[in-house]
Amino acid sequence: MSVLAVSNLTKRYHRGGKPFAAVDEVSFDVGPAETLALAGPSGSGKSTIARLVLRLIEPDAGRIDFEGANFFALSGAALRARRARLQMVFQDPLAAFNPRATVARVLGDPLRIHGIAPRAERPRRIAALLERVGLDTGLAARAIHEISGGQRQRVAIARAIATRPSLIVLDEAVSALDVSVRGQILELLLDLQRQERIAYLFISHDLGVIRAVAHRVVILDAGRIAESGDARAVIADPQSAVGKALVAATPKLVRTSQDAS
Amino acid sequence: MNRLRRFLRTPEAIAGVLILALLLVMALAAPLFFPGDPQAIAGPALLPPFQDWRLPLGTDRLGRDVLAELFHGARTSLAVGLAAAAAALLIGAVVGTLAGFAGGLVDEVLMRVTDAFQTVPGFLLALAFVSIVGPSLSVVVAAIALSAWTGPARVARAEVLSIRERDYVTGARVIGMHPLEIAFREVLPNALPPVLALSSVIVAAAILTEAALSFLGLGDPNRVTWGGMIAEGRTVLRTAPFLSIIPGIALVLTVLGVYLAGEGVVESTAVRRSLS
Amino acid sequence: MTALLSIRDLAVRYRRGGVPALKDVSLDVLAGERLAIIGESSSGKSTLALAVAGLLARSATIGGTINWKIPKSQTSHSFAPPSVLPDISPKRGEIEPSSPPSPISNVAGREPTAELLISPQVGEMSGRTEGGAVARQLSQPRDTIPLLGRDIGFVFQDPSSSLDPVMPIGKQIAEVARTHLHLTWREAIAKAKTLLERVRLPNPEATLHAYPHQLSGGQKQRVAIAAAIAAGPKLLIADEATSALDTIVQAEIVALIRRLVSEDGMTLIFISHDIALAASLANRIAVLRHGELVELGETSQIVNAPQHAYTRALLDAHLGLDAEPLLDRQGTSA
Repeated sequence: MSVLAVSNLTKRYHRGGKPFAAVDEVSFDVGPAETLALAGPSGSGKSTIARLVLRLIEPDAGRIDFEGANFFALSGAALRARRARLQMVFQDPLAAFNPRATVARVLGDPLRIHGIAPRAERPRRIAALLERVGLDTGLAARAIHEISGGQRQRVAIARAIATRPSLIVLDEAVSALDVSVRGQILELLLDLQRQERIAYLFISHDLGVIRAVAHRVVILDAGRIAESGDARAVIADPQSAVGKALVAATPKLVRTSQDAS
Repeated sequence: MNRLRRFLRTPEAIAGVLILALLLVMALAAPLFFPGDPQAIAGPALLPPFQDWRLPLGTDRLGRDVLAELFHGARTSLAVGLAAAAAALLIGAVVGTLAGFAGGLVDEVLMRVTDAFQTVPGFLLALAFVSIVGPSLSVVVAAIALSAWTGPARVARAEVLSIRERDYVTGARVIGMHPLEIAFREVLPNALPPVLALSSVIVAAAILTEAALSFLGLGDPNRVTWGGMIAEGRTVLRTAPFLSIIPGIALVLTVLGVYLAGEGVVESTAVRRSLS
Repeated sequence: MTALLSIRDLAVRYRRGGVPALKDVSLDVLAGERLAIIGESSSGKSTLALAVAGLLARSATIGGTINWKIPKSQTSHSFAPPSVLPDISPKRGEIEPSSPPSPISNVAGREPTAELLISPQVGEMSGRTEGGAVARQLSQPRDTIPLLGRDIGFVFQDPSSSLDPVMPIGKQIAEVARTHLHLTWREAIAKAKTLLERVRLPNPEATLHAYPHQLSGGQKQRVAIAAAIAAGPKLLIADEATSALDTIVQAEIVALIRRLVSEDGMTLIFISHDIALAASLANRIAVLRHGELVELGETSQIVNAPQHAYTRALLDAHLGLDAEPLLDRQGTSA
């Protein structure tokens, strides 16, 4: 059974007095421990879908089933409790945290809110989370603005896994990182997926990254699904116009020889 | 430490801090230097200043020591000014945060209430409030706060409106934080700096309002206040002008000190912002 | 090929005593070449671009020289000597007795016969500076030094902040042409229309009267490019000019820059964090890391036979459409 099932999701906005559909009758599902990528040019609706799935905004039509239950039926405390299972990692790891926060507070909040660990046990749990994402446990006392961008994104991932979610929405989560850090973060995400069986809704405009980590891809254009399927198959032989354009536009590194390595 | 050094770089800030420090020492030391009731008769009535070394600033119409009154008046001015400003900032920040963060109907209602308060001149509001409830120190503080909270509320709301769209607020929702906790723990502390920048203006205005209320006889009758001293001296303005002039100067210096120190704070934070 | 400018031992610090943004970088930019400068965050690549354009913040400390060889004047100019420039807020007691005299007297006290060390000036270019960057202006005759806007075109990463939001697009471009080419307003507007056609904006006539907020990100970047080339500069600097755009628009903008550079015979300095994108556009690539020039070479040499381990690491970290997916590398997958 799928972790997330989205059917006929529609969200309309008004632009210059005229309504237009940012997300138009979109349906897809994500299985356990699966990575589904949403790709598309800017304005194709991928970030709107992420916000709808997380119930940060309400749709105009459609249905989302999360872990087999209608996600839109929840509200108030029930919705907040459910959020433990559905987490998110943002693009900009600095903007994603309260500028006044320390690492310990960022990781302690979800443990406290969802009653996962009593106060006395929290420092130990925080240390375990930091270790899990490959960070030094001494980092807990540091302020968020004191650590590097790559470390911040690891803390963001640690916060996301603190509540043992079944799905994490990654909204351009590696786009702002340096390429050397990006590889490590992707490896970490894949490792977590294997160990904890977490599913990812992976939003990116970069087909190279998608191809590296995603099982399936949905290519969006102007709020509609242009095509979808196995990530490597779609990228190797795109059928839709926007799919072809995305593949053609991806910068290619033509290396004729592999010496000196 | 660094912050303090940056703050004390401008001469205005140094002057402001010196004045406020002097005022604070006066307020704290008043019971030490002038134990007993400052409103007790200490010598002959209407003794001009610099005549008797025991009563350096002379005496008023009833023979009370002007210097003792000045020291004890500093206590009232400072206490009322700070308490009223703190109350105004607190009310304003809470109302502004709730309005900005909740949005919708809550925002509409709270901001219309704010509008209503703002359309009435603050001093008239305080005057009316004290006249109805009766003069006492806590009522005066409440009256002044009532007339001054709208500014901080508007500033806080504007700041909250921009902060609530930030990723970290979304992040707090995603981890399931309660909306009230998000509003007061994640949003409000980050919305405070521009609100606190208003504090010098509000403290200065509160001190002046308190003096004006006392001048009109609506201050706490059991306490010496500078406004009350000026009002007392008014009846003998022609024969003993010093009775009005001395507390008047104290009032002007105090307000000036508050403004200058406030300017210094704004200046030092502006420099820090341009550095980072 | 002759050098358009020679950079020698360029060192930049944004804060006195802080980490250097650039450490003794020396390289020649050849006339007519497309040079890519790549690196990760805080590698100094943007600092290098700003230094060449004379756009470094006033508080930065600059050492080394930049020698310009502009064909028109045939004279060689170089850059400011290691001098301390005014800090926004010098802290009391932190200025050591041994520190050089204040920059004002430093500049004024320089004998006019000495080799002039200058940076390009900024002409009147509305809304073309970003992030509070202040142009260095030294009192040199205008026609003998490279002038930002006239001799150097600069395209920033974020077109929304480099365009004036309340000025019609036609006027923003025409202003550059009018200032540097000494045209009348009518001629400058006509020139702006031609430029909008050259950057392939749909309906140039209507776009002349449009405001930036009415255009998409890619269209705004086209306008910024039109303004940058309005005065026919010899050097075009694109500082992460495509990083804020999606892949498809990025490819279009890169194609546009390539076409304009070749049509006008401009020299291009293309700053990017993306080695594949840089390689697709540049003849030569300079790799920067922590403010140091790690490697400089022909694109094919950098891509196929990198000499430095860091360059190799950058190449290996690139996730292309032909790379082995990390999913497989990890073995088991769902």
